[in-house]
Formats: sequence, structure tokens, C-alpha cells
Amino acid sequence: MQTSLPKIFTPLLLAATISTLAGCGSDDDGKVTINKNPYPSTYSPLASQSILFTNATVLIGNGEQLEDADVLIADGKIIEVGKNINEDVDIEIDAKGKWITPGIIDVHSHLGVYPSPSVESHSDGNEMSSPNTSEVWAEHSVWPQDPGFQAARAGGITTLQILPGSANLFGGRGVTLRNIPSHTMQGMKFPDAPYGLKMACGENPKRVYGSRKVLPSTRMGNMAGYRMAWAEATEYKRAWDKYEADFEDDDTVQPPKRDIELDTLKGVLDGEILIHNHCYKAEEMAMMIDLGKEFNYHAGTFHHAIEGYKIADLLAENGNCAAMWPDWWGFKMEAYDMVQENVAIVDAVKNSCAIVHSDSDITIQRLNQEAAKVLYRAKDNGFELEEKDAIRWITLNAAKSLGIDSKTGSLEKDKRADVVLWNRNPFSVYAQAEQVFLDGSKVYDRFDEAYQAKSDFMLGQPSLLENVKKNKVEK
Amino acid sequence: MNFRNKKPNKAKLLTLCLLTLSMSLASSVTFANSFVIKNAKVHTATQAGILNNATIVVKDGVITAINPRSYKVTNVIDAQGKDVTPGLIGSMNSLGLIEVNAVSGTRDASEKKADITFDTSKAFNPKSTLLPYARKGGVTSNVVSPMGGESMFRGQSFAVNLSGDFDSVLVSDRAVVIDLGASHEGSRATHIQTLINTLEDAQEKLTDKKAEAEKSDASDSEEKDKKEEKLKRDEIIINELLAGTKTLVAFAERATDLLVLVDIKQRFNLDVVIVGGSDAVLIQKQLVKADIPVIVNPHNNLPTSFDTLNSSLDTATVLIKAGLKVGLYIDDAHKLDQLRYLAGSAVANGVEHEDALEAITANLADIFKLNTGKIAVGKKADIVMWSADPFEISTKVERLWIEGEEASTKSRQDALRDRYTTDTEMPRAYTK
Repeated sequence: MQTSLPKIFTPLLLAATISTLAGCGSDDDGKVTINKNPYPSTYSPLASQSILFTNATVLIGNGEQLEDADVLIADGKIIEVGKNINEDVDIEIDAKGKWITPGIIDVHSHLGVYPSPSVESHSDGNEMSSPNTSEVWAEHSVWPQDPGFQAARAGGITTLQILPGSANLFGGRGVTLRNIPSHTMQGMKFPDAPYGLKMACGENPKRVYGSRKVLPSTRMGNMAGYRMAWAEATEYKRAWDKYEADFEDDDTVQPPKRDIELDTLKGVLDGEILIHNHCYKAEEMAMMIDLGKEFNYHAGTFHHAIEGYKIADLLAENGNCAAMWPDWWGFKMEAYDMVQENVAIVDAVKNSCAIVHSDSDITIQRLNQEAAKVLYRAKDNGFELEEKDAIRWITLNAAKSLGIDSKTGSLEKDKRADVVLWNRNPFSVYAQAEQVFLDGSKVYDRFDEAYQAKSDFMLGQPSLLENVKKNKVEK
Repeated sequence: MNFRNKKPNKAKLLTLCLLTLSMSLASSVTFANSFVIKNAKVHTATQAGILNNATIVVKDGVITAINPRSYKVTNVIDAQGKDVTPGLIGSMNSLGLIEVNAVSGTRDASEKKADITFDTSKAFNPKSTLLPYARKGGVTSNVVSPMGGESMFRGQSFAVNLSGDFDSVLVSDRAVVIDLGASHEGSRATHIQTLINTLEDAQEKLTDKKAEAEKSDASDSEEKDKKEEKLKRDEIIINELLAGTKTLVAFAERATDLLVLVDIKQRFNLDVVIVGGSDAVLIQKQLVKADIPVIVNPHNNLPTSFDTLNSSLDTATVLIKAGLKVGLYIDDAHKLDQLRYLAGSAVANGVEHEDALEAITANLADIFKLNTGKIAVGKKADIVMWSADPFEISTKVERLWIEGEEASTKSRQDALRDRYTTDTEMPRAYTK
């Protein structure tokens, strides 16, 4: 296909090449603008049918739970959730004794950028060559054939954010993906989801660059590094804002020099890119909140917020989400003060946004059980929490953090029909996702191999048990 | 806040005495830790299966009777029908050797120059904060595995109980831990050759010596013994492997490496245990025939390397059905409390509930030759009482005994939680 481009495309391609060289696009009136979506999503939902799930226990995702309820989806959207829905549908699924939740969302994953097999050739998750790599985009490293995507889908994951690693103060842009099998990254990209910018506090950046005798080697070096970058980004934004304003009166005015690194930081200052900040400790999160105020952006979501419980009030007051593990601890000093009720304590404050995340290709497969650990340990210790509350930590709150809560994250009318049918209470250790739907189309079925996708990498491997059986020649 | 299971400060000194005394001496004394658990749903982790409304009698740290007609012990605990299991057994992790992974001063599990003689048992810290946290998950004993260094021999594993007492190391030189398989530098063949050559050379020496001894007559053999060359420490260990008094525990995944272990076991008559075993499903018959137990992590289902393409959630199911002795393990000691959830996952993927329990108790006790892991007469009274099904996330440990002594599940994490959830006008630092 690529060898036989019709001739008519050539001038267009040439023009595109030239504008790329210039670093910017150009409006008809000659004003230079930056293409904010140069690698656009090509995701389109698979064919869907209208489906009525009947008599399920339904966790809406917004804190509500319905018993013996029906869920109606059609045209890829949630149509209705309630009792005794009467509707002619293509498929009716008896969900008696089963549970239905929104598709699970993981705000912190490295699938595709640190894929399986984790071999040298695949280590694409962290551009550890400079403390500020705001110019890199995780989507450019995503290997869509990571078998981890399929495993996560079997655990009910329908949406996930892929982030760069945490060695840098600014690690680069994250990307939000639909968990759909595709052989291109664009085919998975969540349409119109905002970009994220990964920042990192604490031990990692100062260890990685300190060992190279480069700033930062201390926590104060970390802060200095952020502030210098934001100061520069502020100048950059001012230059572009000035250009746009001046252009109104004088169309010969020259645009500022394009800088890919500063484009990302400017995107944050413009409120278009959301901060996702690897930050464990209370005192550091408190400073990152002030840093945002100093440079006029919002500090966003704190990831791995092990000490979120120490500043639950502050997080809620400033509208910061905190994404947390239920019980990871002890691997670094900044992870030493874990408490099992961390998520519940952060959640207990009004206007909070508590999230359970994985940061793992293993626990992403059971984020429901990760949330369950918090739910039950908190209940053991006097917290008034139920399943309907805990589900928010892995659905609606996660969607909020990613800026996609108007599109997914709960089973509310007109949202994308991202739905998981569980064999039982999803907070049980025995829970398994039976069927998973993405925009109303089935993408996983535990009992039907036709809906169990397989990565190119795994296809036909002679050492796989199933292939050993298949490849035996009948004698 | 609720501080269940708060351990009374009683009899701490007594415990210390008890554990340092020999069993025969200890049993002649009456101790406060004799008690009876009655009306329990006892998961024995033995062929007896589950016993409902059962009674367990514990004396001097040992289970002395199950369902006796009568008993004289006055300290009776009514389990009210709750689930009671043997204490769970962790394995193949660095519990008590690493407090914080990224803090070099707290890392005692590895050593660049470590070899087969590397014995970390004296470095075990029973006061590590990881122990009370692991007790929250009903873990009462653990086989600690050294991480070694550049050599394929990681060193020797040792077993501990989780009492937190200074004498909690139970056994310190019963197994040698090795790595077989994918090598980041050089070829895996070197590891295989090293292992086989070492065993061959040692066996040859032993055979030569035997022949020599037979040649010489009885009168001068005594003198010979005196003159006999002193064996090096690593040679002694290899000889113990060949004699079957030490176990060879091998981390290995790919079928070709597992077959090497099968071969070695048969050729040298070793006691071999496989850890990892991603491809074990491909050579089930050979493993059953060679009677080699396999210790797996049932959550490891991704092809993280070319050695582990067969990693699957139902590996444990397949191996147990094939008739192999299977253990479950978590290599991260900070997450040891989650061992029971691994068993739950195994059940969700087809393992019978009691088989899964045995895979985190009795089977590991058998594999590492520990006198625990079963509710049976003569076994150590390592016992856990649960609020419900021990594998369920909603379940918690109600009470827990290690060698008959009740242990607390309260940890530093609880203290931090309480500090930050207690109302106070003063800075948090004053809430203790």
C-alpha cells in the first residue's frame, strides 16, 4: 500500500513535510499555529448490538448500588440502568447472581512501554538522558502487541493511562488508551482525552541524576529543576500569546521559535495537559501544590501517594486526585510509611478524589481486588464504606483524574458503554470478569475463545502448551 | 480504633526460656501456653481434611490432641465455628534480611562474592517491621532465601518462625538455592555445566575414597581417617547434597532447564525442588515420575521472558491435577501477608480450596522438612483463627499462635493510621 501512493497526494505530503520542518502548521491567513494532535486517534468501536443485562447487582460507579437491576446498552452507549426495563434488544443476558460495574480504569500503567517480554529491546518507558524530557511522548514508545493488554482486559480494564517512568523531574507526556486490540497505537488512543505530563518527586530523579553529578542530586535540586523549567515555560507561553495577539494587528510579525519540550509545559500552563505527578511524601506533595500556584497551573493527580493520608484535607481542598496502591511499601524510604487504609482516609474527606492504581502488569489484572483490600481493611478499622464506594476508586475517580469523566467511568446515561460483567461480587478474591464490553461491543469473554485476543508475539510459539498439543502430528 | 490481638506482655521471658530449652526438658514443665481451641472449623491441611466443631489441644507449643474425649486444660477458647488453619508458610523471599530495598544498610540478602556457602541466617533480624505486617496475613513461618551474588549458587536458605523473638531461626542449613536458566551475561549452558561438573567431581571423589577404604585393611583404616584431608566448606555442602541430607532448590523456568534438574535428580539421587517452573506444565509426566515438587507464584501469568512463555493463571491447577506437590510463594517479603490471596486466586482458577491451603502450609512444610503447616498431633502449634474463609479479602486474622504462644498482628502501619485519624489540636507528633 505504501509503495503506490496516488500522485495527487504528493504535493500534500510535501506541504506537510515542509510545515513539519518549520515545526508548525500555518493557517490560511498565514498565522503560524501548532498542531496539538499530530498523532490522532484512529480508534473506532467494534460493531455493537443492543444488549439488556437483567437482574444483576449493579455498581454504577458514582456511589450508587442497585439490586436486581437491569442495564440497557445500545449504539455503544449506556441507555438506562434500573428495574424491569422492557426493551426489544438484540441480546438479553441473564445476570442473576452476577455483578455489573463500569469498565475498570487504571490511571498508572506502563503496558506497551515496559512490555512483556521485558527484554532490552523493549525497555522504552523512560528517556533517562536528561532530568527534563517534557519533549518525549509515551505514545511513541507503545508496543501494542504487549500481551499484558490482553491480560488486563481479562481483568476488566477498559481504559488505561500509559505513563513514562519516574527517573526524570519531567518524564514526558502520558497517553490514555482504550484497551482494544490494535496493531497501531493510534488504534487504541482514547479520542479527545487530554494528554498527561508525568512529573516525579523524591528519590528517583535525585538518585538517577545525582549519580551522574547533574542537577538534581537533592530534593531541593528537584524543586529547583521544576521551577527553572516552569519559569522558562512561562516565557515561552508569553512569547506565543504575544505573537497571537500581535498578529491581529500585523500579519508580518514573526512567530517564536518552536520548542517541542516547552510545547508540553505550555500545554500545562494553558490548562490543556494534566499533571500526573509521581510523589510519595506528604511534605513533597504540599510543595508541589504550591509550585502549581506559583506558576499558575493545577498540580493534578499525585501518583503513588503513599503519604496521602497525612494530607487528605489539603488534597481535597486543592482538588487534587491521589492515586495509590493498597499496600505496596518498604521498597524505598519514601514508601516506608504505608498504611493499609490510605485510600480510605483520603476518600473520607469531602470533595476528595481517591484512586487505586496498579503501576503493575500483574495487579492491573485485578484492580478490583486491589480496591477490595482497602475496602475491607478500612471496614475492619471502623470506616463506613461499602462496595458502591470502593468501585469509584477504580472507575469514576480514575476517569476524573484523566479528564474523561464525562465520557466513561460510570454507568450513567449516554456515557460510553464500557461494562464489566462479573461472576460475583468483584471485591471477592474469587471474582472474575466474565464478559467485558468496550463502547457496547464485547471485547472479552471468559468462556468463548472467539473473544480472547492474542498478541502477535504469542501467536504460534512452539513452546506453548496449547501449541505443543496442536502441533502433534496424528500418526 | 480497635486494637484486636494486642499481645499481652506476659511470659515473654518464659517464651525465650521455653524455646531455648530442649523439647524433652520443656515438656516436663507446666506452661501457661497450654490451651484448647474448641468449636472450630479446622482445616487440617492433612488427609483428614476439614473437621467441623473440632477441638485442638495445645500443650507446650505443640498440638497434643485433636478431638479428645476429654481434656484437663482450663484455658479454653471458643472459636464459635470459625475457620482455623495451620499458620501459613512463606518461602523464597528475603524476610528479615531487607528492611528497605533501596537502603543499602538494611540489605543483607545479597553479596557480590556469595557462593554456595553463603549463609545469611545470622543476619536475620526478627525485629524487622516486616514480621508483624506478615502476621496480619496469618503467616507464622518462612523459608528465607538468600539472593546471592555473581555465582549461580545463591547460598543456603533457612527457616524461621515469625514470633519476632531472637531465637526464631529454626533451621539454618538444610537447602542450597541455585539459579538455572536465562543468563544476562554469557550462556545458561555454563550454569548447567558448573552444576553437573561440581556434582560429578564430588561424587567421583567420594567413590575413590570408598574404594580406597575398601582396599586397605581394618587395622590401618583408623590411621587413614586421621590423615584424611580436611574438606573445604563448599565440598562438605556438595557432599550433603549428594547424601540427600540437603535439598537443592532451583529457580528455573524453561522446560530444558527443568529437564536438566530431572536428570540430575535421577543421576545423583538428590532431593530437588523447583521454584518458578513456568514450563513445568510441558513436562508434567517427567516431574511426577521424578517426584519433584514445584513452588509457583500463581499470579505470574505473563511471558516476562522467553523462558516463561507458559506462565499462566492455571499452572498450579494443572500441576496439582497431574499429582505434583505444589507450593505457592511470594518473593516480595513486604507483601508476604498476601500469600492467602494467592491461594484464593489459585482456587478461582480451578484449584480445590483445601489443596490451595496445603500449597501454602503442609506442602511447604513437607518440601522444607518443617514440623509445622498441619493441624495434627505432634506438629508445632502454629495456628490461625480467621473471621471467615481464610482466602477471602474481607476475612481477617482473629487470633494467631506461634509455637503455642499468641502473637499480635498489630504493626507500625496501625500506629501511623491511628496517629493520622485521631482528632487532636496538637501536632500529630504528640499522638503516640
